[in-house]
Amino acid sequence: MVNLQNVFFDYGEGETLKNISCRIDKGEFVAIVGANGAGKTTLCKLLNGLLKPSSGSVVINSMDTRTTKTSALAKSIGFLFQNPDRQICKNTVREEILFGLELAFKDKGLIEERLKNTLSTFGFQGDSNPFNLSRGERQRLALASLIAVEPEILILDEPTTGFDYMEAMKTMGTIKELNDKGATVIMICHDMEVVLDFAERVLVLAEGTIIADGQTREIFRKEEALEQASVLPPQLVQLALRLGEGFEDVFSVDEMASAIINRMNKERTFEHERFSGLCTG
Amino acid sequence: MKGFLDYVPGNSFLHKLNPLTKLVLALMICVACFISENHILLVAIILLNLAIAKAAGILSRGLMLLKGLTKISLVIFLLQLLFIRGGDVLITLPLNLLITERGVAMAFVIVLRLIGATMPLALMLSITQMNDLSNVLVTKLKIPYKYAFTLTTAMRFIPIFANEMSGIIEAQASRGVELDTRNIFKKIKFVLPLCVPLLITSVKKIEGSAISAEIRGFHLRTRESCYKGYPIRKSDVGVMFFSAFLVFSAIIISGV
Ligand SMILES: Nc1ncnc2c1ncn2[C@@H]1O[C@H](COP(=O)(O)OP(=O)(O)OP(=O)(O)O)[C@@H](O)[C@H]1O
Ligand SMILES: [Mg+2]
Repeated sequence: MVNLQNVFFDYGEGETLKNISCRIDKGEFVAIVGANGAGKTTLCKLLNGLLKPSSGSVVINSMDTRTTKTSALAKSIGFLFQNPDRQICKNTVREEILFGLELAFKDKGLIEERLKNTLSTFGFQGDSNPFNLSRGERQRLALASLIAVEPEILILDEPTTGFDYMEAMKTMGTIKELNDKGATVIMICHDMEVVLDFAERVLVLAEGTIIADGQTREIFRKEEALEQASVLPPQLVQLALRLGEGFEDVFSVDEMASAIINRMNKERTFEHERFSGLCTG
Repeated sequence: MKGFLDYVPGNSFLHKLNPLTKLVLALMICVACFISENHILLVAIILLNLAIAKAAGILSRGLMLLKGLTKISLVIFLLQLLFIRGGDVLITLPLNLLITERGVAMAFVIVLRLIGATMPLALMLSITQMNDLSNVLVTKLKIPYKYAFTLTTAMRFIPIFANEMSGIIEAQASRGVELDTRNIFKKIKFVLPLCVPLLITSVKKIEGSAISAEIRGFHLRTRESCYKGYPIRKSDVGVMFFSAFLVFSAIIISGV
């Protein structure tokens, strides 16, 4: 469980985060959205103790980050950085995944099994050199070595940036699987389609404060807050908002299709009634 | 994040000097430090450094430098104190260690020298733009542009490396490597393997800069391509004379 209370933070030149309070329970899938420089990465670094709040408290699984070292918190938190190159430090893909596993577990059998599973899930060649992979592949490797450990809490700083559509869906699927097994996922994401498809809850961050916090579908209806945070909902949702009555609950293509058919049926009945009215009248 | 070598813009007398003059002044202060063994002169030079910082409007950075250097100096001072021997024995320590009169005197000299000679270079870089420095090396000292560019680029990469390294340390600590330990030996053991990713990203960055320089026509650039002029003014001559005077007085006072 993650609990932030009245958290303030500054890098020494004005407050970057202002009075952040929120609670994230075990098993939630939370997306953090907001403009560039809103403080999303800073917020996440506070969660795993890389940064300490200047006032207020951050408590992870009853450990206060001010008194716990990041390396100790790492036992329960997996953190994917915006730049995967800082994470990768071994000469082969296999060693890279092993490194994370060995830091977390002692059991040789378990480590071997996880390694094999991860290599096949992500389709990696164990012997290839990480630094010859493409950027997207390196990001996937960094993510793979985190997911192999199956941490209780997974913090992802823009996990799908730079991925093609298929890759993004596959990766998000793997993350969702871990979430279904009970892991808490906190993800920064600029792709609202991904947010809509996967997150249950959204935190909207603007200029260092949380201006909206709620169920994903609720949040995408709050046009004002989204605009303040320079976020645009997916086009389908925008269209539904424009259409208004009868389209309130439309968030997917299927829902849109059935809403349109509904509306058409209604119009037809109306026309029909008017027509029969004319005939008799 | 501002590094201690970053350029601080300003409009002071010192900012407006020819980059070459600033370089000469800094080097001459260093030379004076190394010639002199006189404590008072060395302290005076450190004070001069602070005065220069004040005049350039970067006194806070000057003091920060002084503080940082003093910390390093403390360690060096202790080592020198124990290893230089000569003159009367002042204190005898266990393990056959002696603190001698000459040891104390020399330890002071070395530490003051270190501070006095490091500060001017850092201060000079704080008030000179890298481009100006390399241009003046090319036009006035006739150093080939390639080498001047290499030098200034190397300088510019120092803060980038430092930034990159702290990023790598953060990333590895988040994975559970105990990099945030207070135990310095343990920390060194964990940091050494990280030099691999640092080197790889650095080489990549350098390769990137080389390619982009080449694309923008680096090989076409010659001494004549320098667009800005760097005239030597009266004030420059004055400061150069002052630099020479410093070295001269160091020679006379130390009686070399
Ligand atoms: N190390 C640092 N030192 C000083 N200021 C910083 C540092 N890191 C970030 N900042 C500042 O804090 C603010 C928030 O940065 P942060 O990285 O949290 O933004 P973000 O929401 O993650 O943006 P993006 O979407 O671009 O990743 C920015 O204005 C940035 O300039
Ligand atoms: Mg960010």
